[in-house]
Amino acid sequence: MTTLSITNLSVGERLRDVSLELPDGVLVALVGPNGSGKSTLLQAAAGLLPATGRVVWRGRPFSAIPFIERGQLTAWVPQEAQFEFGFSVRSVVAQGRFAHGDDDAGVESALAAMDLLALAERPVNQLSGGERHRVLLARALATAAPLQLWDEPLAALDVRHALQTLVLADNLKKRGGTVLVSLHDLRVAHCFDYVVVMQAGRIAAQGRPDAVLTPELLLNVFGVQARLEPGLTLSLPSTSSA
Amino acid sequence: MHATTRQRLALPIALTALVALALLSLAVGDMRLSVSEIGQGLVDRDSLAGTILWQIRLPRLLVAVLVGAALSASGLVMQAYFRNSLASPGLLGVSSGGAAGAVIAIAAGWAGASLLVLPVAAILGALVATAAVLSLARKGASTERLLLAGVALNALLGAVTSYVLSQANVSFERNGQILFWLLGGLEDRTWEHAVMALPIVLGAIVLWPLGRQMDLLSLGANEAQSLGVNVRRLRRQLLVLSTLMTALGTAVAGTVGFVGLIVPHLLRLLVGPEHRRLVPLSLIGGAAFVVACDVFGRSVGGLRLGIVTSLVGGPFFLWLLRRSA
Repeated sequence: MTTLSITNLSVGERLRDVSLELPDGVLVALVGPNGSGKSTLLQAAAGLLPATGRVVWRGRPFSAIPFIERGQLTAWVPQEAQFEFGFSVRSVVAQGRFAHGDDDAGVESALAAMDLLALAERPVNQLSGGERHRVLLARALATAAPLQLWDEPLAALDVRHALQTLVLADNLKKRGGTVLVSLHDLRVAHCFDYVVVMQAGRIAAQGRPDAVLTPELLLNVFGVQARLEPGLTLSLPSTSSA
Repeated sequence: MHATTRQRLALPIALTALVALALLSLAVGDMRLSVSEIGQGLVDRDSLAGTILWQIRLPRLLVAVLVGAALSASGLVMQAYFRNSLASPGLLGVSSGGAAGAVIAIAAGWAGASLLVLPVAAILGALVATAAVLSLARKGASTERLLLAGVALNALLGAVTSYVLSQANVSFERNGQILFWLLGGLEDRTWEHAVMALPIVLGAIVLWPLGRQMDLLSLGANEAQSLGVNVRRLRRQLLVLSTLMTALGTAVAGTVGFVGLIVPHLLRLLVGPEHRRLVPLSLIGGAAFVVACDVFGRSVGGLRLGIVTSLVGGPFFLWLLRRSA
């Protein structure tokens, strides 16, 4: 089944005539230079921006889905993690269960998955930038939504938590979820199932990473010369339980 | 005290404080009444104590309770709406808008025509102020932008009020009435005023179940919407509620500053930021705070309510600014 289907979606000048189909159980990287429309596409796909065109979640037109069900179907993680009020980490993660009648299911495991159990009672407005992002990711996990839209979740994270986040995304995908993640690191994008390349508000290319991220495209879209050579490789130790 | 104990005890304590302060407010005055005299007076309306209670002190108490609850809850709502803990009806100019509306109605002589004129005029003035704040400072605006918008609006609406006052054709008596709005007070409040302010109860009932959604909104509108909140509807409800409650409070007591800033702030420090707790606590705590300020003002020889809340609130606000800087 198609989890996310976008047809001729436009948001002012920022996003122009974008069409995209994402099936169940796929991990998708969204890449593109600054200002190419990645965040706009994610927000429009989450139904958070006034847009023209069609957004369909699991066969249902977005506008026909009641608000509470939208919260069950999709989780969106913003690029900025700012909190004015000092809610505890646990209570912010528990907000992910709002659309499920605040049943608290999966809140503890989401906290554990993002290494937040030790910080659970801390006020979120006293955390570091990376910790705040982990709180937002844990909240997205707690929603148990099949469509996950994450806006640059790795940018603020240290290398271990970045890897952990990717492993989590991969687990979600294996359970049938669709995870669309915007990224800047093209080497990370190479590990994804599918890559969508944005340029000036349009999709420049989409497909399997090795087919899409060719030296010609990288030069054309990003203005960089690409070559493959051995370098530093990082992975979680095999004892890790992430 | 441990945080969860504080959270559990906060509401009973606030309620007890409100009841105790209410009794004090009925007892204190030119003629002091004991608890048993109050009990007798409430039953026997024709006795001296009964006359004092039913004609003077009960309506005054009721107006104080409603005004306090309204201003405090409005502050809480504005703070969640603007995602800024310094937002409040006074600082944003919504109170001034309500007062300007009321002043115009009094000066034009419409206020005598019907019981409805004054509250409606205050509501219209407050709505104009709210609309202006919204256009000057978008949701989630920085403290600077929000406060500057408030400064500008307060100055502008103050000018409207001063213009009305300076009009030569406004009678001396009406000017006296107008000064009442500017000072904010509960002197000579009657049952009419209590009835005018009664819709505040309705506002409180509508606001009561919105606490959980306010939690989500206070951490970001897009985030709240993606989690399942109908943000557009919630925002509309919150805006209408805070404007109406501020306007009604202003219509019956004039501009009473700082209640909406101090009370939610102190409660947040005590029980944390969850709005399911803060909504009922702000209503009751705001009522208790205003009754306390009124009792204090009366017992030191007739300091008006607006003066007392400003004497308490001004330094508190400066302390907050210093703390957040």
